[in-house]
Amino acid sequence: MTDTAQPPDDALLAERLRSGDREALGELYDRYASVAMAVAVRVVTDRELAEDLVHDAYVAVWQKIDRFDASRGSLRAWLLTIVRNRAIDRLRGTRPSIEVGEADEQSLLRTGPNPTWEAALQQRSASELRHALESLPQEQRQAVELAYFGGRTYREIAQLTGVPQGTANGRLRLALAKLRDSLSLTDAAPLSVQAEPVRAEGIDR
Amino acid sequence: MTPLRFGCQDVDELAGALALGAVDADQARAAREHLSSCPEPHAELRSLLGADAVLAAGLDPVQPSAALRERLMASVDAMPRRPEAAMSVAEPPARRGWLDWLSPQLARPMALAGVGAALALAVVSVSLAGQLGDRDRALRAVASALAADAPAHRVEGPAGRGYVVDTEGAGAAFIVADVQGPLAADELYELWLIGPEGPVDVGVFRPRNNEITVIPVERDLSGFETFAVTVEAERVTAPTGDPVMAGAIGS
Repeated sequence: MTDTAQPPDDALLAERLRSGDREALGELYDRYASVAMAVAVRVVTDRELAEDLVHDAYVAVWQKIDRFDASRGSLRAWLLTIVRNRAIDRLRGTRPSIEVGEADEQSLLRTGPNPTWEAALQQRSASELRHALESLPQEQRQAVELAYFGGRTYREIAQLTGVPQGTANGRLRLALAKLRDSLSLTDAAPLSVQAEPVRAEGIDR
Repeated sequence: MTPLRFGCQDVDELAGALALGAVDADQARAAREHLSSCPEPHAELRSLLGADAVLAAGLDPVQPSAALRERLMASVDAMPRRPEAAMSVAEPPARRGWLDWLSPQLARPMALAGVGAALALAVVSVSLAGQLGDRDRALRAVASALAADAPAHRVEGPAGRGYVVDTEGAGAAFIVADVQGPLAADELYELWLIGPEGPVDVGVFRPRNNEITVIPVERDLSGFETFAVTVEAERVTAPTGDPVMAGAIGS
């Protein structure tokens, strides 16, 4: 895979997968296996285990492609969400009795392709995306990484980093908002973000 | 046990955490329920959803071993793409057609908050293989022991039978299921409580051979009329097929 995040014609690939086109799965593998491996290795820090997770994620895509809804996000995002969630499940070992991770359903956390993120994925190189993340204030980047790569809730992040829950939650929101704004290539998605501290009592339930 | 409820401000304040799935299960459920009926756009949350794909794409690629591709293709060659067992039910039990209760307006926001956040599901299996000739009596005995004579609502269908035991003041309920139907390796049973607003997922489980399984139901039974079980390929927020077990739980 080259140093580009561009997903060429995923919608067509998804249609071919739906029709049972085995070669389409091979093409999907060739496109995203290296980034899927990157996610899995980052989470579980074990290459052999990461390969098992990536294998299983691709099998899940093959078997469940009818559940993929392009109106909710890209095929790549769906695949990577499956990989990430399975890796988190394995890392935390919280649901050993369930063979199929219900966390895969997080791939449905979409209200439609977000133009900012989709444009960033298509038009920014991986190094640019990485630079955007590295440009975040250290505490915000740490919070995002604990959430995404560590599967931690904002409450757990607060405990791990020794800050109030409202602060941990606020760091996540501000970090994503900064990423969104720094990667914005269109006028469609960016929305203003209030930078004031999050009302702690509202979330410290 | 009063379920957590969210308003618009709660959802907006947790926008970043919700976008990354970094909330507790009850918060995800509360957000989902709020969004299912809220007319507000929640633009902040929507603008942050999808950021996870960017986080993944920013990593340095890691090349898998050369053998992984071959292994994958061999795996898919050896399996049906979608097991047929989950797609049809010979004798659907009560409330056939309840899937229609889920309107797109309801289903989509339900998926929004999702169940991807932490789910504390415990499955306790009690091995009674070879010890009980009368499974039905065993089920009642287990249910009774767990709930101390609490009401037990029968749930049955082509996949098996069991009881939903309402523990009422204890804040929990259980289904004791004698599941007989075959389940593919990548499938699971998902539990649903069905009320006026449609089905709500309350747990998943995979039975083991010759075992009776006791599963905590993740929500109080009050306000719901029917308990149902479907076969799913993964945990979902709306059932994809007809129930394989179902029964009334109202008084």
